[in-house]
Amino acid sequence: MPRAERPATPQACAELLRAWSDGRRTVRVRGGGTKDHLGMRAETDVVLETAGLDGIVDHVPEDLTVTVCAGMPFAALRDALARHGQFLPLDPPHVVRGATVGGIIAANSNGFGRFRYGSVRDLLLGVRAALPDGTIARAGGRVVKNVAGYDLNKLFIGSFGTLGVLVEATFKILPLPPVTRAAEATFATAGDAFGAADAIVRTSLRPTALVVERTDDRRWRVVIAAAGERAPVDRASAEFTRVCAARGATAEPIVDPDAALGPLREIVDSAADGIVVRAALPLSAQPAFADAAARADRGARVVADAASGIANVHLREDRAGLVAAADALLANARVLGGSARIERSTIADLELSVGGAPSGAFLMRRLKDAFDPQGILEPARVTVG
Amino acid sequence: MTAAPAIVRAGLRGPELAGALRDLLGNEKVLWAREDLLLYEYDGAIDIATPDAVVLPNDTADVAKLARFCAEHGVPLVPRGAGTGLSGGAIPVEGGVVISFARMSRILEIDVPNLRAVVQPGLVNLHLSTAAAPYGLHFVPDPSSQKACTIGGNVAENSGGPHTLAYGVTTNHVTGLELVLSDGTVVRLGGKAIEYEGYDLVGTFVGSEGTLGIVTEITVKLTPLPEDKRTLMAAFPTMDDASSTVSAIIGAGIVPSAIEMMDQLSTQAVEASVGAGYPLDAGGILLVEVDGVRDGLDDLMQRIETICRAAHAQELRIATTALERDKLWAGRKGAFAAMGRLASDYYVQDGVIPRTKLPEVLRHVIDVGRRYDLRIANVFHAGDGNLHPLIMFDGSKGPAEVERVKEAGREILERCIEVGGSITGEHGVGMEKNCYMPLQYSPVDMAVMRRVKDAFDPLGLANPGKVFPTPGKCKEFSLNAAR
Repeated sequence: MPRAERPATPQACAELLRAWSDGRRTVRVRGGGTKDHLGMRAETDVVLETAGLDGIVDHVPEDLTVTVCAGMPFAALRDALARHGQFLPLDPPHVVRGATVGGIIAANSNGFGRFRYGSVRDLLLGVRAALPDGTIARAGGRVVKNVAGYDLNKLFIGSFGTLGVLVEATFKILPLPPVTRAAEATFATAGDAFGAADAIVRTSLRPTALVVERTDDRRWRVVIAAAGERAPVDRASAEFTRVCAARGATAEPIVDPDAALGPLREIVDSAADGIVVRAALPLSAQPAFADAAARADRGARVVADAASGIANVHLREDRAGLVAAADALLANARVLGGSARIERSTIADLELSVGGAPSGAFLMRRLKDAFDPQGILEPARVTVG
Repeated sequence: MTAAPAIVRAGLRGPELAGALRDLLGNEKVLWAREDLLLYEYDGAIDIATPDAVVLPNDTADVAKLARFCAEHGVPLVPRGAGTGLSGGAIPVEGGVVISFARMSRILEIDVPNLRAVVQPGLVNLHLSTAAAPYGLHFVPDPSSQKACTIGGNVAENSGGPHTLAYGVTTNHVTGLELVLSDGTVVRLGGKAIEYEGYDLVGTFVGSEGTLGIVTEITVKLTPLPEDKRTLMAAFPTMDDASSTVSAIIGAGIVPSAIEMMDQLSTQAVEASVGAGYPLDAGGILLVEVDGVRDGLDDLMQRIETICRAAHAQELRIATTALERDKLWAGRKGAFAAMGRLASDYYVQDGVIPRTKLPEVLRHVIDVGRRYDLRIANVFHAGDGNLHPLIMFDGSKGPAEVERVKEAGREILERCIEVGGSITGEHGVGMEKNCYMPLQYSPVDMAVMRRVKDAFDPLGLANPGKVFPTPGKCKEFSLNAAR
C-alpha cells in the first residue's frame, strides 16, 4: 500500500506537493474515495487524502453563496445548508458513500438536476488549489459574476486532480424549493421514451430530473421530477401526463421522489459486474445510442439524463462480448457527435481499441506540463494525450 | 513578476505590413488608408490606438493564413467584433493587425433537435435570437448592446446582460469553439454535447478577451422561450430602499429572471431620451421580471409586490402587454446611450459586490462623486450585485480630466474588492483595468493565468497589452502587487 498523507491545512498540502514534485513521487488525490473506479488503477507512490481539509469557511445566507474546504463531505454541506433552508443544487452520485466537494469538482460529477440548476461548471464561483510547485492559486471569486482574468475554475473542473489539488471552493446556492413531485411512465421503445422526455425539454417547465431508464425487463421507463412553487409543479405533472398519453403510456405519480431517483443516480455504484460506459451526447442522438446499447448487450441497463444528454450504460449480460460491446459504444458516441469513457470496469486489463486523445489534446498536454512539470499528479488519470 | 513586456515588439509594421497583407490576402480584405484605420482606433471604452492594418477575413482559412504570417513577422493580432466593448479589448495598444469579423457574421446552423446553433463570430447577438424565435427558442445572454454587439465579442468578454441572473452568462451557453491560435493552428474544441472528455478548454477560453487566440466559429445553446413573463417597475423614495428590496426578494427564496436598478439621474436621462414611463421623482427604481410557465407567475409577482410595498415603494406598475414590457425594458437597455444628454463623455465601471453590500457600496459611490465633483449615474444588474456607475465628464478638458475620472473609478473598484467582490462582472479587464488586476489577484494567481496564456499563445501575439498588468503602464501597482 502506498503511504497516505492527510494534511490539515492548504499550506501543508502545498508543501507536501512541492516535496513530492522535487522527489518525483507520483500522487493519487483522494477525497471520499468514491471514484477509485475511474481511470487506470496503477498504484501511485503516495496518496494525498483531503479529509483534513473540512468545514465551511464562509456562508452568508442572504448572499446565496457558500465557501467550503474541499475535503468536506457533500452530505455534511447539504445538511448544514438545509438548516438555513438552502441547498447547493448539485445531486451527484456517491454522496451516500462520502463523496467530497473537492472530488465532485475534480470529477465534474453531476446529477439529474443539471438541466434545471446547472452543473458544477455553472455553480462554482471560485476555487483555491495547491499546485506541485508549492504555491496556492486562487481562481474566480466569491461573487456571482466575475470576468477578471481567466476562468481557471473551468480548467480544474473535471481535471481529476491532474493539475492541482483543490483545497477550497465557493458556490452559488439557492433556497430549498417548497414542493417536489415526481412521476413515471413506461414505453415499449427508446424512441417513444426519449420522445416524451424531449417534449418536456422543449417547454419552460424546467424539470429537476428527466431520466430514461432501460429496465431489467427491457422496457423504457421515464422518470420526471419537478420542484418549486406548487402551481408550476402541478403544471409539470399535467404536461407529463399529456405527453405520455400522446404516446400511449400512462403517467403514474411517484410517492417518494428521492427513493425513486436514488437507484438511477447510483447506477455506477450498483454495477458490481461488467462494464459501465458513460457518454455525453447531443440531445437528439440519445435514442440511437440507447438502441445501440441494447443491441451491443441485450441485457444492458441504460440510465440517461435525457434533458442533458448524459447516458450511462451498464453492459453485463454477454461476458465474452463485454469488451467488444464497450468498444462499439465508445465508437458510437463519437460518431454521434459526443464523447464517452469507461466509467467503471470489472475487467482487470481492459484493452480498448477506441478512445484516444480528445480534440485539442496538444493544448491540454501543454497545460498539464505547465501545472505539473514532473508529472506527479494522478498519472493514471491523465487522458490528454 | 507576471507582467508582459510593455514594449512594442520588433516586427513588420506600417505601410510595409499593409502591403505584405494585401499580397497575402488580396486588396479587398485589407484596409490600410489612414482614414480607414481611424475608424478602428477606438471602441466603447475611452482608450485609443491606431492599428497598422485592418483585415476582414472571409473564412477560417483567411484567419489561419493571417495568423501564420503574423507569427513569422512578429505582428500582434487584435480581434474585433462590433467595437462595443467597454474595457478597450479591441484597441491595438501595441499596434499590429485588427481583425474585423464583419464578413464572418453568418448563422451556419440552427439545430433545433439538439437545441444548438453554430455561428460565426461576427454575428450580431440579437440576430441569433431573432432567427431562433420561429422555433420557440432564443439565445439567453442579452447584453444591453445586443442590437450591435457580436457573439464573438460575447465569447471574448464572457458577456452578461439583465437576464443572466437566473439563466447564466455567455460561458453557461457555449458548448463548442473553433479557434485559430496565434501560430495559425486551427483547433476545434467541444461540440454539441454538453461536455467532452479532457480539460474544459471551451470554458477556459470564454472570457479570455482575445488573449488566447481567435474564435472563428461558436456552438451555443438555444433555450426554449419562456411561456410567459411578468415585468414590474417599482419606484422607491431612496436607493437604500431599492437596494434592501433586492436582498428581501432573494431572501424570500425568489430568484427572478432579472432585477435591474436605476437611480434618479439615470431615470431622468432615460425619460428625456426614450420616455419609458419611469417616475421622475423616485430616488431609485427597480425592474423585476419573472418568467417560466404561466402557472403561478401572478402569485409570484404578488409576493414581490408585497415585498416592495414593505420597503416603502411609492409606485408599482406591472406591464400588462408585450408593448408595455418592451417600453420598460427599452428604458433600461437605452440607459447608457441616454447618458449623452447629461455629459459629452462617460466612463462606466463594472464592479461586482455581494448583494448584501449594495446599500453600503452605493453610498460610497455617491461619496466618491461628491469628493471628485463628478456626476455619477447608477444603472445596473442589482440581482447579481453587478454595479455600473457611469461617471460623467467632459473629455475636451484634456487628459488630466480623464485621469481624475479614472482615479474616481479606481476608488469605487477598491471598495468593491474590500467587500469581497470583483473589478469586473461582464465588461472585461482589457487595457482599462489591467493595472487593477493586482487588487483582486495575488502574484501567484496571476502567474497561474500566465501559464495558461503561454500554453495557448507562446508567441505572445494574441491581443497583447490586455488583462495582465504591463510594467511600463502599471508601475505603481507592480510594486504593490502582493495583497
